[in-house]
Amino acid sequence: MGNVPTKETRSRSNSLISEFTTTNTSSSSTKQRRRNTTSSSTTQSNGHQRTNSTDLRKLKRQEEKDRVQQQHYMQLIVKYDENVDGGFLAPYGTYKSNLDYDCDIVRKLIINRELAPFFTPLQDYNTSWTDEEIIILCSQLTLHAPEAGFNEIEEEEDDVDNHKIHKSSNYYKRQEEKAKLKSLVARVKELQMEEEAKFHKMKQIQDKQCFSNDLYLKLYKNPLECPICFLYYPKHLNISNCCFQPICTECFTQVKRLDPHPPHETSNDPQPQQLISQPANCPYCAMTDFGVTYNPPLDIHTGINGIAPMDYKLLSTIAQPSPASTPPPIIYTDYIRPDWNKKLENSRNKLARKAATASAIHASNLIIDNRSSGNAGDYIEQRMIEEAMRLSLIDEEERKRKNSNTK
Amino acid sequence: MAALPKRIIKETERLVSDPVPGITAIPSEENLRYFEVTIDGPNSSPYANGVFHLELYLPDDYPMCAPKVRFLTKIYHPNIDKLGRICLDVLKDNWSPALQIRTILLSIQALLGAPNPDDPLANDVAEDWKKDEKKAIEVAKEWTEKYASKKEYSEN
Repeated sequence: MGNVPTKETRSRSNSLISEFTTTNTSSSSTKQRRRNTTSSSTTQSNGHQRTNSTDLRKLKRQEEKDRVQQQHYMQLIVKYDENVDGGFLAPYGTYKSNLDYDCDIVRKLIINRELAPFFTPLQDYNTSWTDEEIIILCSQLTLHAPEAGFNEIEEEEDDVDNHKIHKSSNYYKRQEEKAKLKSLVARVKELQMEEEAKFHKMKQIQDKQCFSNDLYLKLYKNPLECPICFLYYPKHLNISNCCFQPICTECFTQVKRLDPHPPHETSNDPQPQQLISQPANCPYCAMTDFGVTYNPPLDIHTGINGIAPMDYKLLSTIAQPSPASTPPPIIYTDYIRPDWNKKLENSRNKLARKAATASAIHASNLIIDNRSSGNAGDYIEQRMIEEAMRLSLIDEEERKRKNSNTK
Repeated sequence: MAALPKRIIKETERLVSDPVPGITAIPSEENLRYFEVTIDGPNSSPYANGVFHLELYLPDDYPMCAPKVRFLTKIYHPNIDKLGRICLDVLKDNWSPALQIRTILLSIQALLGAPNPDDPLANDVAEDWKKDEKKAIEVAKEWTEKYASKKEYSEN
């Protein structure tokens, strides 16, 4: 009983010394520090260190994520001097969402002539148009759709978060991410406008990377209507591997797996491992695992790894070797979105955590119900501890996997 | 609102220029993604001589996701519930961007001709259907006469 007040006075005297004896601070402050470390704060400071290192790791992961996202959006800019056989490496902007395909892979496929380039579509076509009319129309085409493109997060969009009374830490994180994405999208639009202006100037001085009138005619005289977007494209489009129907590259990059879902016949309460993800079906004949092939035109070889598009002439390219010795590779939808496996795993983990939380809540309800019978309570408490451990193990595994993925 | 995609404009034009017999789809003036639809009941079904009103909406992601379609006219059918919602694979997981407003409405018309009580949305109707199909068909006919006759709808 007598110990407690002594301690208190000692500590107070210490602090008094440290406050007043400025000349002799070293001894008193070390004393104080020692006192602090011996107190109950030991565990606390340890815990603090750990959160600091996880914070750092989280920050790094976030930075990496931001970098990847930025790079992705930058690659959606259509550049006039990045062209292959009369098309480009980035989409025109017919679709505003679902642009999450792997840009590196798609650009490479287009450059290798294994996937049709992103052609600028004609909105309309009339067979009565003369060559002159077609050339005038083509020379007025823009690189990207003139109205606001990309996955725009519009002001009026109804944000579920805004209806929540309780705002979690995730809420602020999400808001921050949305703001970041919004400014990135705005920046990308700006850059596209600049590219558009540059393209306009370059056309006037007949830059080598702009298209000759002959190329325009070759591409857009008697074009083909894509059966999905109903826009008109040059005849050499991708062809479905199963039923030989044309599909433009912009529509092809939209076709993807459905989000992971329980199989149709299961009840409302699916187990995590039951979630399935199946390859996309052919939009035309519903054949599983949709893929396309692309036969590059033999009489157009312009842009990257070809001749300058301005030098293209209709008559000069009659004599052509036939290099079609190997059949073109089949490009499956999974090939341009290789992350489907990760998505499935994430959904399964998410469902597992949800189920675990639900059973923990269920168990805690049981405790309340069975408070009188002690043994049952003990058992349930044990179960809850086990559940909590299982949850943190899942978290840890996920964290490890994410770490190894970002490396 | 963002500009209407060319595909929606062209589909609408083609619905007008080349209409499907027994089906009408008219876009609303305020929102060109919203259509007022009528489907005639198939001749050899309990819905024959009925004209069913539906609403159809093309979401932002259309044609990458299915149109949203709902019956406005009351109908007694194992795959259509009280709220007019329709259980049809092509409106859900089996949607394909190569399908169109036209093809979807034809599929719904076909569903009227071929009810499928084994994959029900309206459980009570499906039960009736499986227990006593003859009686269920009679009820479907009654409802068609009561709610889906041309005269009845114009009076409401």
